[in-house]
Amino acid sequence: MPTRPFAGIHIGKSRNIHRFRRQEEIVRPSQLKRMLAVIALSILTTLGVGALSTGPAHAAASQVYVVHGIPGQPVDVYVNGQKTLDNFQPGTVAGPLSLDEGTYDLALTQPGEPVGNAIVTADDVQVPGGQNLSIVAHLTEDGQPTITPYVNDVTPVPAGQARVIVRHDAAAPAVDVRANGAVVFSNLTNPDEAKTNVPAGTITADVTLAGTDNVVIGPQQVDLAEGTVTIVYAIGSAQDGTLSLIAQTLTGTASAPTGVPAGNGGHAADNAGPATWQYVAVGTAALLLIGGTARVLAQRNARG
Amino acid sequence: MTRHGWAVPAAALAAGTATLVLALWPGPPAGTLEEDPAGQATTATPTGAPPTPTRIPVRPGDLPSAATKVAPVRLRIPAAHTDAPVNPVGVNQHTGELQVPPSVDEVGWYRHGPGLDATAGSIVIAGHLDGAGQGPGAFFRLGELRPGDRITVTGTDGRSRTYRVTSREAHPKTDIPLDRYFARDGKPRLTLITCSGPFDRETRNYRDNLVVTAVPA
Repeated sequence: MPTRPFAGIHIGKSRNIHRFRRQEEIVRPSQLKRMLAVIALSILTTLGVGALSTGPAHAAASQVYVVHGIPGQPVDVYVNGQKTLDNFQPGTVAGPLSLDEGTYDLALTQPGEPVGNAIVTADDVQVPGGQNLSIVAHLTEDGQPTITPYVNDVTPVPAGQARVIVRHDAAAPAVDVRANGAVVFSNLTNPDEAKTNVPAGTITADVTLAGTDNVVIGPQQVDLAEGTVTIVYAIGSAQDGTLSLIAQTLTGTASAPTGVPAGNGGHAADNAGPATWQYVAVGTAALLLIGGTARVLAQRNARG
Repeated sequence: MTRHGWAVPAAALAAGTATLVLALWPGPPAGTLEEDPAGQATTATPTGAPPTPTRIPVRPGDLPSAATKVAPVRLRIPAAHTDAPVNPVGVNQHTGELQVPPSVDEVGWYRHGPGLDATAGSIVIAGHLDGAGQGPGAFFRLGELRPGDRITVTGTDGRSRTYRVTSREAHPKTDIPLDRYFARDGKPRLTLITCSGPFDRETRNYRDNLVVTAVPA
């Protein structure tokens, strides 16, 4: 199906991104650039065999994580027909892999099963360059295994804050996500995401059915470390009673404070290092000259 | 002079003999590498193959819990006549600036950065040069520090760690490389920051920041 590059893949709709009410409105959550491709684990990087990347040469590689969000179903991950992750366990995160821009195939099987018996496949998919990505194996709202790729926002996080991204990857209807009892993201549906920056620190998070106080996950403590990106995935199945949260934390996004205001007294003019004395001396001399008192000064010198 | 006259041809003879010996020595001629790594490389696998990690890291997707850091609680700098309590500080949520403690007798450790137990990055402690109505602050004489001066920091774990001053720099506040001074990576180091330079009586601000960097002694 070459004309449908993402055939067989459940690509998340982005419509919900605009719907999130933001109680913690510090930074406007811009619409995520929804990735237009499914990423595959590369046998290039794991097996070191020849270059299969078909993308333009010298495009920056992407950092790619794989997240397993299908409860009770360990899988083998195949890339271009080669087993890349063996017996990959639910609730775990693999990576990062540095993948060149290019085209890849991906398949998940039950452990030990041949790739021809895949649970879910994604063919002829393209990896963009220079991004940070998470590929999530999870259930659709209807409970079917699927794969959703996300581009992770790893732009700098302002000092003192943390970025939190929530992804609905569970077989469950629309939900609200609350922090310390207040709704932060509302009406989130599978497989969409919402994000915001919040003051760093530990929060108590829970997930309710949208518009209700009916808690379906949590409450659970989550530490949002300063300067990091914490991605929380709601996974599992409401029907099977396996709903839960798993998380992935990205670092390297911290920012320095914007300044260090450390003095407002002006006392250093009276007692400080040589640099300040120089400023004082120059300033005094200038004032004397401007004031026309050079003559007075000269007379003093003559008397002295 | 006679001896000197003999010395020159003797040396020439010796050099010539040495050259002859080298030329006849079995093996590759002098000045030629025994191997040619460049030549070997040209016969290796095709170019373009990405590096080969030995295995892909897999970690549990547990929700993150707060990491503990060893916070500084006391700072002693004999050469600057500083002996001050250290309190953890963050940033002003409106301005993004470091929240230096209001009391000029205290100094503030940037709690979002590395603690004393960190194996990498810059441990930042900021203190006032002075304060309106309070007089000189804990870092009033920071500018007197010289390379080699000792700094002792005591942590919440009760341990005292000694650092050695390596540099003292002043930057206009509009042009200070804060990313470098607040870096979370690089060799572990202690960074002390205060104000310096001319004082603007209108805005009640000093123009510059003074930065002292120290490394574990």
